[in-house]
Amino acid sequence: MIRPPRRTRVARRLARPLVVLAVAALLALPAGAMAPGAYAIDPSKGHPGFCKSAKGVTVVVDFQQLGGTTIVRCNPRGTRGTGLDALKGAGFQIAGVQRWGEAFICRIENRPSAVEKIPIKGNKDYQESCIDTPPAAGYWSYWHAGNNCAWTYSQWGVKNRDFIPGGFEGWSFSLNATADTNPKPRIAAVRPGTAGRPCVARYEPKPTSTDPNARQPGSGGQTAGAGSGGSGGGGGGGGQTTEPGSGGREGALPPPRPRALATGRPAADDPARNVAFTGGENAPDVNQLVKEQSGASDLAPWAAGGAAVLLALLTWLTARRRGRARDA
Amino acid sequence: MMRRGALTTYFLPRDLHPLAWWTWTLGLAVAASRTTNPWLLLTILAVVCHVVVARRSDAPWALAFRVYLYLGAVIVLLRVAFRLVFGGAEGATIILRLPEIPLPAWAAGIRLFGAVSAESLLGGFYDGLRLATMVICLGAGNALANPKRLLKAMPPALYEIGTAVTVALSVFPQLAESVLRVRRARKLRGGGGGGRVRAVRTIIIPVLEDALDRSLQLAASMDARGYGRAGTVQARARFVTGLLMIVGLIGVCVGIYATLDGSTPRFLAAPVLFSGLAVALVGFRFAGRRVHRTRYRPDRWHLAELVVAASGVAVAVALFATSSVDPTNLNPSLTNLSWPLLSWPPLCGVLLGVLPAFLSPPPGTPFTAADGVPEPAAEKVPA
Repeated sequence: MIRPPRRTRVARRLARPLVVLAVAALLALPAGAMAPGAYAIDPSKGHPGFCKSAKGVTVVVDFQQLGGTTIVRCNPRGTRGTGLDALKGAGFQIAGVQRWGEAFICRIENRPSAVEKIPIKGNKDYQESCIDTPPAAGYWSYWHAGNNCAWTYSQWGVKNRDFIPGGFEGWSFSLNATADTNPKPRIAAVRPGTAGRPCVARYEPKPTSTDPNARQPGSGGQTAGAGSGGSGGGGGGGGQTTEPGSGGREGALPPPRPRALATGRPAADDPARNVAFTGGENAPDVNQLVKEQSGASDLAPWAAGGAAVLLALLTWLTARRRGRARDA
Repeated sequence: MMRRGALTTYFLPRDLHPLAWWTWTLGLAVAASRTTNPWLLLTILAVVCHVVVARRSDAPWALAFRVYLYLGAVIVLLRVAFRLVFGGAEGATIILRLPEIPLPAWAAGIRLFGAVSAESLLGGFYDGLRLATMVICLGAGNALANPKRLLKAMPPALYEIGTAVTVALSVFPQLAESVLRVRRARKLRGGGGGGRVRAVRTIIIPVLEDALDRSLQLAASMDARGYGRAGTVQARARFVTGLLMIVGLIGVCVGIYATLDGSTPRFLAAPVLFSGLAVALVGFRFAGRRVHRTRYRPDRWHLAELVVAASGVAVAVALFATSSVDPTNLNPSLTNLSWPLLSWPPLCGVLLGVLPAFLSPPPGTPFTAADGVPEPAAEKVPA
């Protein structure tokens, strides 16, 4: 026997890439090791109810036909940020679609969940799997409003516009609605104690390109530049971000050039007609809920890991046994 | 006594029908394509490796399996590295802050380096692991199934396309085997000096030469056996047949892809698949009419073949069923960092795939193999 048994050499060679693969897996995996005990509402962020001052932004999540009590929370953070920052800063737990990440939010507070059947047009048993852009017949529509102003359907994606300090961010589930009948959040954009004051909000120009990465002019900290991009009838698709259904209502004539602070804008509804809402204090733990809904077991990952290790051991033993049998 | 006899016959060493192995292997690949759950993917990998080691023969194409494993590792590392380079800030858990390279305005939307979050790295890892698992599954098919017998099992109508596919499928294993052979030859000659660059050069050139030689040889032998002969068919009929076949097969490919990939528009799935199938069948009929081939000792499907194929199909079906019931765990969310969840049904489904390692007959040894003798690789040393 001059050369070593070929099979064992093969086994040894086979072991090397396996080790490389395992090391690659291990290198990339530790990031997954941290598991924050997250609740549906993250109580460490924001506080329930409306914002008390003009510093923060109030976030309203209206489940509409999905059922469930509307949630109102405040992100009291004084710094500027995007709509996504407002939503997360208020403590809501969201999920973005796999294709676009958090630029397209498909679940808020685990609604619509993966096991929930949504009767959208053309598919009575639609289930949102959060992989690609949700259908225009069932998605979370994104609204915003200044304090005391009417809700406005956002022409910008959630990551591409800044929230209005002291104002409102609204999320309303749009089921089988068109661009004109999208339901606005059923909570008037009025902070308690400020009712009756005029609507004060910056005019937000429509996007002028279809580039999904385009940012609202002036977003990112400054308040200047309002109204400068308001002319021009572009913005047809408005990007993929949060408006799958909005066709835009561009006419032949460009819209009138708005003033920087439009005081004559439609005012908010009467807050007396608000639907019942909570601060989400009693919302169930999303992680726990997902686990129950999916039938996940704490033991299954251990079983999977155990099976993988056992199979690797068996592989090695088999390779050795076959090598010996071949040499014999 | 009778029972024992049947069992012995069942487990008599022999090479299984190559299509049985391909069914098994594609079933696992389809299952892997449905999930990004690392637990499931790692289990699939373990299952594939075990079955390959337990049931591959000593033929040259079977030894290339570890090259596929290297390829898989490279895919995973590349995916993760891309997330590092092109903006991995999706998510809240920033684990690495690299200096961002400013880009001109026309490159808006592209980001070089900058903050890297754990979520985006994990996203890259899951994605890469899925692709790597599928590639390794294909490698398993190449290691387990005998390409020559696969060609033999093709229906006569498919023989031209089948030849092309088989040749294409076996290119990579052949190259890997070439590399192994050349390296062994170098070692035997004692040529180790000269550093890494020289070593690569002294391997690559003989391998390329070898590949060229082999393809010429293959072409000559196929020519000698009558492949590619049009016979007495008119050029127009040949053109129509070829067009039908190609269009039909493209339709079938698009249809299968759309069926398997959940995010493709649905009108590309069943309609394209079935119309492609119909067109291809018409093409097959035309082609089959003019091709008459006989087979020497055709491979038959026995119980073991059925068991192997069924196990692969079962894995795919299990993941399809669980993904239509509940997609949560098959595509773990990365919004909140946590260990990916896993439920029992998909895990048990994937573990069904290991059955062939125990329930199929071991491969025949080179001396009892029914067809061609895979010569001991060490004896043939390139000049």
